[in-house]
Amino acid sequence: MSSGKASDTAPTDTVQGGPVNIIMIGMAGSGKTTLMQRINAHLHERKQSPYVVNLDPAVSKLPFQANIDIRDTVDYKQVMSEYNLGPNGGILTSLNLFTTKLDQVMQIIEKRAASTKYFLYDTPGQIEIFTWSASGAIISNTLAATYPTVVVYVVDTPRTASPATFMSNMMYACSILYKTQLPFLLAFNKTDVVSHEFAVNWMSDFEAFQQALSRQEECFMNSLMQSMSLVLDEFYSHLRVCGVSAMTGQGMDHFFEQIQDAVREYHEEFKPNLQKQIEQKRIKEQQQKEEHLKRLMDDLAVSEGKQVDL
Amino acid sequence: MGPAGSGKSTYCQTIMQHCEATKRRVHLVNLDPAAERFEYPPTIDIRELITLEDVMDELGYGPNGGLIYCFEFLMENLDWLEEQLGDYEDDYLILDCPGQIELYTHIPIMRQVASMLQRWNFQVVGVYCLESQFVEDTSKYFAGVMSATSAMSMLEIPHINVMTKMDLISESLRENMERYFDPDPLLLAEDANRNTSGKFHELNLAIANLIEDFSMVSFLPLNIKDEDSIAYVLSHADNAIQWGEDQEPKEPNDPEEVDQD
Repeated sequence: MSSGKASDTAPTDTVQGGPVNIIMIGMAGSGKTTLMQRINAHLHERKQSPYVVNLDPAVSKLPFQANIDIRDTVDYKQVMSEYNLGPNGGILTSLNLFTTKLDQVMQIIEKRAASTKYFLYDTPGQIEIFTWSASGAIISNTLAATYPTVVVYVVDTPRTASPATFMSNMMYACSILYKTQLPFLLAFNKTDVVSHEFAVNWMSDFEAFQQALSRQEECFMNSLMQSMSLVLDEFYSHLRVCGVSAMTGQGMDHFFEQIQDAVREYHEEFKPNLQKQIEQKRIKEQQQKEEHLKRLMDDLAVSEGKQVDL
Repeated sequence: MGPAGSGKSTYCQTIMQHCEATKRRVHLVNLDPAAERFEYPPTIDIRELITLEDVMDELGYGPNGGLIYCFEFLMENLDWLEEQLGDYEDDYLILDCPGQIELYTHIPIMRQVASMLQRWNFQVVGVYCLESQFVEDTSKYFAGVMSATSAMSMLEIPHINVMTKMDLISESLRENMERYFDPDPLLLAEDANRNTSGKFHELNLAIANLIEDFSMVSFLPLNIKDEDSIAYVLSHADNAIQWGEDQEPKEPNDPEEVDQD
């Protein structure tokens, strides 16, 4: 069953059926929200309206109507003043509060799963609030456990044009890949300003990248960088790449082709792995329970029912 | 430096306390315009120059834009910082920085600050904090390594990575984490392979090897309730500053690593 271009696909025709979660992650200013809007518009045009979830509590205006908006559940400014937090703390706490209601969100999603193919999630502007927080992990894990989930890492192409910045950005992407263990799509955004050709070149031709890197001023960590680029070279083989422009809409068809490919990867690799991990966790928990119980029994045996002074 | 909530400010306070006890002069410099309160009042505070709240209120920026504006403002008013630092040329300064990684990667602000400090004859070391609670297994550990290196690579200063909140994790987990502090690449790779799908195995090995070759990529545990732990981390930071003087690229067999045998 080939998926072909998005415009040829019937609403429920995925590789193996079922909805797809797309989590948009990216650094502040990379254009996640704008890209979400572009994806939203693209899908609307093809009569495949997505279900949109906004997880950014601090955004003031969204260019699209979100079906679920964290701002409806949590008032960011109120959280800040009530808990006496700064802006970061406010966003993080808002996300935490939202996560306590996650099961309700999942119920809504499950109800919509029959009629909707794409679920889009916009994450907070500050990437670390999602990637290095407990709630971020809970949200992405929960989504991944229910339906095929793809992480789209949005890259600010013009800003990433220097080899060192590029490498730093790629390393961070690699870190997210390791954290979420989900199929990954690198979306080079703003290709209307700067084409992502250089990135594709650097990613496919390792020597070209090293040359570009060494051409930069003498760097303290040069040997580390060179070794790191070897690691990254390996990393690239796990990635899908596409260049898009949220402003002009170029690259969208390719974007969706890559999403389909990622879904395929999800079914072939991640789902079985996930199930293996769930099983392992269950076994571990069982073992821990047994250990606890044993310890309790031992303690009881030792105290032999004597009174314990508190 | 480090993600929000990783324990940067707590690290600063802990070191301050420790140094006070050992009669070592240390000053706190706060570079986070969004910081709220401190146990030890900072000697130099960016909020005297500009605060995030003011920027957001007066200019209507959101938290990101506001933070970037604060730093751009600082860059334009570096003489203020220079003046403030002038009195403390020979002392040990701890700079508490904001968490947003965008400030380290995409925008050269933190790098400019670091190089300015060096130009003013300060020896600089970066301390990257990461929470131990997130490092539940090897693949998360790798994620931490990548994230730390991502931030630090742009700054071009020697750095150490600190795994914070070691006092908050359970005994068994702590034992588990021993292998991250004195890493054996093959064991790490094997471990990672168990948790990840087959596609990752090559990558796991590559990262594990990287960790072995470069001691600056591995983490030091920090238990703020243990004086020895604090002293250990501090000594590493001190060492790094001395090494930074020569500005030589780190060679794999450097004395620091040999000593760890």
